[in-house]
Amino acid sequence: MPRIDADLKLDFKDVLLRPKRSSLRSRAEVDLERTFTFRNSKQTYSGIPIIVANMDTVGTFEMAVVMSQHSMFTAIHKHYTLDDWKFFAAHHPECLQHVAVSSGSGKSDLEKMSDILEAVPQVKFICLDVANGYSEHFVEFVKLVRARFPEHTIMAGNVVTGEMVEELILSGADIIKVGVGPEHRWSFHRRCAPQPPALAGLSIRTDSTRKGSVCTTRTKTGVGYPQLSAVIECADSAHGLKGHIISDGGCTCPGDVAKAFGAGADFVMLGGMFSGHTECAGEVIEKNGQKLKLFYGMSSETAMRKHAGGVAEYRASEGKTVEVPYKGDVENTILDILGGLRSTCTYVGAAKLKELSRRATFIRVTQQHNTVFS
Amino acid sequence: MPHIDSDIKLDFKDVLLRPKRSTLKSRNEVDLTRSFSFRNSKQMYTGIPIIAANMDTVGTFEMAKVLCKFSLFTAVHKHYSLQQWKEFASQNPEPCLSHSIWLPAQAPALQTLNSWNRSWKLFPRNICLDVANGYSEHFVEFVKDVRKRFPKHTIMAGNVVTGEMVEELILSGADIIKVGIGPGSVCTTRKKTGVGYPQLSAVMECADAAHGLKGHIISDGGCSCPGDVAKAFGAGADFVMLGGMLAGHSESGGELIERDGRKYKLFYGMSSEMAMKKYAGGVAEYRASEGKTVEVPFKGDVEHTIRDILGGIRSTCTYVGAAKLKELSRRTTFIRVTQQVNPIFSDESST
Repeated sequence: MPRIDADLKLDFKDVLLRPKRSSLRSRAEVDLERTFTFRNSKQTYSGIPIIVANMDTVGTFEMAVVMSQHSMFTAIHKHYTLDDWKFFAAHHPECLQHVAVSSGSGKSDLEKMSDILEAVPQVKFICLDVANGYSEHFVEFVKLVRARFPEHTIMAGNVVTGEMVEELILSGADIIKVGVGPEHRWSFHRRCAPQPPALAGLSIRTDSTRKGSVCTTRTKTGVGYPQLSAVIECADSAHGLKGHIISDGGCTCPGDVAKAFGAGADFVMLGGMFSGHTECAGEVIEKNGQKLKLFYGMSSETAMRKHAGGVAEYRASEGKTVEVPYKGDVENTILDILGGLRSTCTYVGAAKLKELSRRATFIRVTQQHNTVFS
Repeated sequence: MPHIDSDIKLDFKDVLLRPKRSTLKSRNEVDLTRSFSFRNSKQMYTGIPIIAANMDTVGTFEMAKVLCKFSLFTAVHKHYSLQQWKEFASQNPEPCLSHSIWLPAQAPALQTLNSWNRSWKLFPRNICLDVANGYSEHFVEFVKDVRKRFPKHTIMAGNVVTGEMVEELILSGADIIKVGIGPGSVCTTRKKTGVGYPQLSAVMECADAAHGLKGHIISDGGCSCPGDVAKAFGAGADFVMLGGMLAGHSESGGELIERDGRKYKLFYGMSSEMAMKKYAGGVAEYRASEGKTVEVPFKGDVEHTIRDILGGIRSTCTYVGAAKLKELSRRTTFIRVTQQVNPIFSDESST
């Protein structure tokens, strides 16, 4: 019989942070940098823990160049060739500590990633990204990658519940991607062809948990988990094992980023908020005098056509393509997000980003802001 | 681990006032004037406790001239010079000044006030200390300092949204606490920082804390129609401060813009990019702008809007059987709703 989980799960839009007494004089005093030591790789990393998603419109080398100037991180999408990587490494060696190489769980992905890591040994992060982090196959894959790269920091996901966070960490992952985020779902199905059909069918249904701005999984499959609750629960599990998590997706404004950190996320991954900028891939198109850029989820038809030659017949497209207004250079967006976070820290009295979750009290609300002029 | 407060907090749009039996014959009988005696300044004040916000598009001298006729308050924005204040004082009678509130921009401005005070008896007796975040220890010290220097001035201080901070500020010398973080129509603090508190719940909790110490509160922001003003009073606010509702009038600051035969006025938040550019030379790198700029349709003279608001509150009082504004909160029962008005014939805004 189906079971209904009775306590209400919450999204970013259901809460606000309660202000608290603070001894900070100005938001300029707030320190947004964090230093982490990872559980399995034993590596140490310092930076502002915001990550550009490994979607092929935003996780670009151009983006990485700007992000690394702010010590922010970029998960580079997996469609660059080995030569692209070599060229980038030669011209922007200073960026390499702030980027990750992405891979799905297919064989060819893994081979390509191995080649890249061999050619560019300065890159210390691996981002393993599949639609369904709950498959046994993926757990095995994480173990395999850990065995091959004992000293690389491995990000793996996506999942939304504590027990799977623990499983992946114990299998060798350092940072678990939680929740959401439109990405490389299609490759899982295409490249894992040897799977028995029953398993393939299963993975379609349970396929995803995502809820990014260009992700339609929730409407197409009914599967999902409200992001705030997912982050709170997964952070608790991960921190118990000295692991870390990334809140992936669901952020629409700097306030949501602050809430994700407040909920306990060590890193926050952003796709939609970084889309539409000069540094993103894709052309600027003009329509009715307005400048637009294309943005699409990695399993949308556009992405599938581009990379896989069309939507595989057995599955519906689970991402959508949207035209986002062209927003200019990403620099302004970065300053806006960091300024918002500093202000949040001042309101709750956190001198460092690290303290934000300890100082966070969420209150439940029915509306986020005054909509009179929106 | 972060804490989640599980009982849901409410905004004006989540409730309506329940009508009650009433002995009032007409709304003319309703008295909207209140008299207050303030806790720390020991001053008395009598008037209708509605305040025009200290935004530079609303809190103008022109606005003050009209509002004082109705014995409403104006929090005059802080960008007028001493010379402009002197002119205003010389042209206007005493009552107009007693209905004005002065805002020192920074600590140094207080010294100016000190010297004015000695030479010039007519100076406003109300000081409004206004910062976006009333939770810093630094601000508490500032309030104490001002109280020491001006023992007989009525001090308004804010903004905060929780009871413990209301108590702290009152005990530090403030008389009236401004309540509200992020509810305003041109405020984007909640979007930029995720910080905030639904206004109705904030007013109820803060009023309770303030009244226990014989202090007072202002509900600042979040009112989009006269009904919201009534709900704020019903929730226990002693004063209600309005920005957006008073914007777009002849008396509001800023030029009149005409486009496609329609008239507009600019209205913007005081930490929007627009205001920061105007007064601080731009947005500092370490901060994000927390306000927006909108064009509001030109609404003519503010007098009509004021009559509309006062008429609405009188009607509310009649519905719940309150002969005086003061009784409104005692007679108030809120019911929770999911829809405010019938949207069939509403124009673009359904409030």
